[in-house]
Amino acid sequence: MKIKNFYNKGILNILLMVLAVITLSGCMGSGGDSDSSSETGTNNDNGSNSEGDSDEITLEFQQWWGVELPDGVLREIVDGFTEETGINVELLSNPYADTKTQIAAGAAASTMADVVGLDGAWVYDFAKQGSIANLSTLMDDSGYDQNQLSDQIQVDGNTFMIPVANFAYPMYVNMDILEEAGIEDIPETRSEFTEVANTIYSETGKAGWAIPLSTESPSGIQNNFMSWLWASGGSMLDNGQPNLTDNSDLIDTVEFMKGLFDDGVVAPGAYAMKEADMVEEFTNGRVAFMIDSLAHLNTIQEGAPDMNFDFVPVPVQEGFSGESGMDVANWGIGVAENSEHKEEAWQLVEYMMSPEVNAELAVYANAFPGNANADPDYSDADDLFLKAYELYQDSNPVNEFTGLPTSEELMRTFAEQLQLYIEGDTGEASEMLSETQSIWEEAFE
Amino acid sequence: MVGEKKWYIKLITFLLLAVGTIFSGFPVLWMFLNSFKPNSEIFAWPPVWISDNFTLNAYAQILSDPEKIRFFINSYFVAFIVVILTLFVSILASYSFSRFNYPGKKIINTLIISVQAVPPITLLIPYLSLVVALNLYNSYGALILTYLLFTLPYAILMMTGYFNTLSKELDEAVMIDGGSRFRALWTVLVPVAVPGIVSVGMYTFMLAWNEYLFALALTKTTEFRTVPVGINLLMGQHAYEWNQMMAMSILGSIPVLLLFLFFQKYFIAGMTSGSIKS
Amino acid sequence: MTYQNVNRGRSKKRSGYLKKKTEPYLYLLPTVILMVVLLVVPIYMVIQYSFFDNVIINDNPVFVGFQNFQELLTNESFWVAVKNTLIFVGGSVIAHMIIGITFAMVLNTKYIGPKLKAMFRVIFSLPWMFTAAVIAVLWKMLLNPNGFINFLLVELNLSSTNLEWLASRDLALFSVTMINIWAGYPLFMISILAGLQGIQSQLYESSAIDGANHIKNFFYITLPQLKPILISLILLDFVWTIQQFALIWMTTGGGPIDATEILSTFIYKQGFSEYQYAMASTSAVILLIICTIVAIFYVRHQRGQE
Repeated sequence: MKIKNFYNKGILNILLMVLAVITLSGCMGSGGDSDSSSETGTNNDNGSNSEGDSDEITLEFQQWWGVELPDGVLREIVDGFTEETGINVELLSNPYADTKTQIAAGAAASTMADVVGLDGAWVYDFAKQGSIANLSTLMDDSGYDQNQLSDQIQVDGNTFMIPVANFAYPMYVNMDILEEAGIEDIPETRSEFTEVANTIYSETGKAGWAIPLSTESPSGIQNNFMSWLWASGGSMLDNGQPNLTDNSDLIDTVEFMKGLFDDGVVAPGAYAMKEADMVEEFTNGRVAFMIDSLAHLNTIQEGAPDMNFDFVPVPVQEGFSGESGMDVANWGIGVAENSEHKEEAWQLVEYMMSPEVNAELAVYANAFPGNANADPDYSDADDLFLKAYELYQDSNPVNEFTGLPTSEELMRTFAEQLQLYIEGDTGEASEMLSETQSIWEEAFE
Repeated sequence: MVGEKKWYIKLITFLLLAVGTIFSGFPVLWMFLNSFKPNSEIFAWPPVWISDNFTLNAYAQILSDPEKIRFFINSYFVAFIVVILTLFVSILASYSFSRFNYPGKKIINTLIISVQAVPPITLLIPYLSLVVALNLYNSYGALILTYLLFTLPYAILMMTGYFNTLSKELDEAVMIDGGSRFRALWTVLVPVAVPGIVSVGMYTFMLAWNEYLFALALTKTTEFRTVPVGINLLMGQHAYEWNQMMAMSILGSIPVLLLFLFFQKYFIAGMTSGSIKS
Repeated sequence: MTYQNVNRGRSKKRSGYLKKKTEPYLYLLPTVILMVVLLVVPIYMVIQYSFFDNVIINDNPVFVGFQNFQELLTNESFWVAVKNTLIFVGGSVIAHMIIGITFAMVLNTKYIGPKLKAMFRVIFSLPWMFTAAVIAVLWKMLLNPNGFINFLLVELNLSSTNLEWLASRDLALFSVTMINIWAGYPLFMISILAGLQGIQSQLYESSAIDGANHIKNFFYITLPQLKPILISLILLDFVWTIQQFALIWMTTGGGPIDATEILSTFIYKQGFSEYQYAMASTSAVILLIICTIVAIFYVRHQRGQE
């Protein structure tokens, strides 16, 4: 008898333990959730507002900005929102690439945060999937004055993302290297640039130019390659459709880029380089010119306090005299379709876009505001920053990749085709472009 | 004759020890050195060994950030629970595989192994949906169950092999004395199998400690984030905190290293029996 | 197991029989419950996706039969990925084995004391302690054109220019394979070391009497004795390496062009960059089939040993 009892108890124990494990995990899950909402509850001045109050709303705000901004700045900004509205905000900050993976997975599993930071390159796909909400409706419902927005990213005529902050991509130049190579004039055209880069290489052994072409994060195509095209007034699109084949501006740009590679004046390792790697090369004084986000200004100044560097306009095609385009990347904001608090989520968007808040954020981020009425106070800013600001105001902000289908994949295939051309696998620039065109067209179907 | 042989074998042995130390140790030494450099010197050419601006800043920044400390606590907690659960569940399953013959055993065994062949990235989205449906999203539970799933196949394999090397007379002796099989397993087999158990535990700990993709996808708030996700937080869109990344990895590896040192005797012995039948 | 019946007497015979029948399954129950609850559904979903038109993006996906498979198997990029995967996996597994055996033999030497041995064991296992992201970042630093490895090569006059380890089409696959070898050999080494310690010393003693030398000993005693553990390790390593993603993704992203594109990066790009979940699932199913076949071999091998 005893034996059997013990045995049965043994087996029973196993089953109980398995059940316990599963329920325990379940408890931890829900326990965690309630925990998080109470932890972030900052609005406790009024005693009746006890924890777990069912009226209390907590919005989740998923973005990568918290990682980029100085510690605590974003928290401070959204706390202002909580003070104003009584709505709590929980920040879910992750690096750019991780945020993208999370949002993509969250879009499929409906676990997206209420308010999400978006890159213009993602908007089309998330909008088509129906995972981000139509902001046009939300704006109409709340009677928002859309004129104050400097831009809206639309898909099929509806707005899905609003740029909060704009990051200009001017050209950085290391003046110390130019001096070392005995160069006095800043190149203004592409042929002058090629000449200068060659002189630098032969005089100092340093690279004239750097471009990150890693296929992991192919944004180098947008920021470091297309910048050249846009600076000379070119365009890769025609009426929203890819226009690469027989695009003479692009052919010139692609050939110019190959020329730099053939001359050996491009920093080594370009095909595996990411933006952060390029910045390290520049900071370490091994590259004379690079096109990079203005957001990097402080990093570079801290990394190389003695370096003398400056901003210059991107050199243009021979004979071009129109207004140059300057590449602009942005931090965009959107609302999740699966959010249960869309109205409140929109309030947060509105708050982030309000002139004062928007201006404050822009100053912290070394960016330009997305609200046209915002008047950021750059008086404490560096002279270099002000110079870049001038360059930005003199040019026409442009980013043709924003809102395109599978934007990142378009950049990636362009990068691959460009590498094939530079390596000599593809004979002609026109051939490379028409090949890329046919790949791109599939995405636009 | 023997003396001569000894001489050149000794030389080869020491040469290989030197090569192995450089091969495995140098990259780690480099990581260690970089954790004391200011960011700007990490990519300097010629490389800097020990910076004139030697700094403990990276460590100070990590250890003074409660959020990062939380990552460490989470990682310990999750890894610890996973080790216990994996051991418990795999010991039971391995006992079944090792001591019984029954219909379906081979099929179940094949399935348990082939399960580890499914590439995790492809499972990510359906798995995430399931975790959400089970109300486990953003919890320790999600991480624990997931890692349990990852470690079980290997753990069961190792433990089955280990039990196979232990004589059946051991458990039979207990049963003749009036004990149940269940008791025989826990009071006789498990104590004898300690080396195998330690080795499975180490493997499990390493996996749970280092996993990244699911840790990222299955949680969203910092309260449940683990060390690998925390390390990635230092990779900004534009700039990396190289020295802090290195420092955090060093800090993260220290407990693993200590565990390894502590358990090495058992560990080495345990690995044998998982795959070899004596 | 007749003692059970003796102990319990005839009246209990029936329940004893039932118990005996169900007992092994009860021990398996926790494992099976976990796997069924957490894995059957996702795997089923992945297989199902592979037969549909663009899932997830599309609310009403259309059943397309084997069209995805046909499309995938005629896709050139897929075959490039297959080729690279074979080189990556083959190189890694073979090198893991060679390095594992060599280091394990060295660590098993009689010439150094146990304390020193313990120290070397820890040093040799160091690569095991780090998460893939860190290994990727560390090696990106070392293999940077202006990184330490090139500095060393130039200083030692082994190379006149700074090599682009990760950025040249000729070197990239070699480099990522090297990184994976570095990251993965400790498990082999430790397992083989354990295996070596399990070989009975009488075997060597008797061969010494026959006058056999070290090389002969290695091929006639050590290797045959290690064979079962080696085969297990090779098969397990095959399955694990084929799934390696983070190391490649974070060092080269599959590039330059497609030089380091392996199946796992290919799947990731399809799923998370092109949003073609159906195609990603199709590739996954093909991988699942390959790995299941390998798993069946593995179980056969395990059984053969019993």
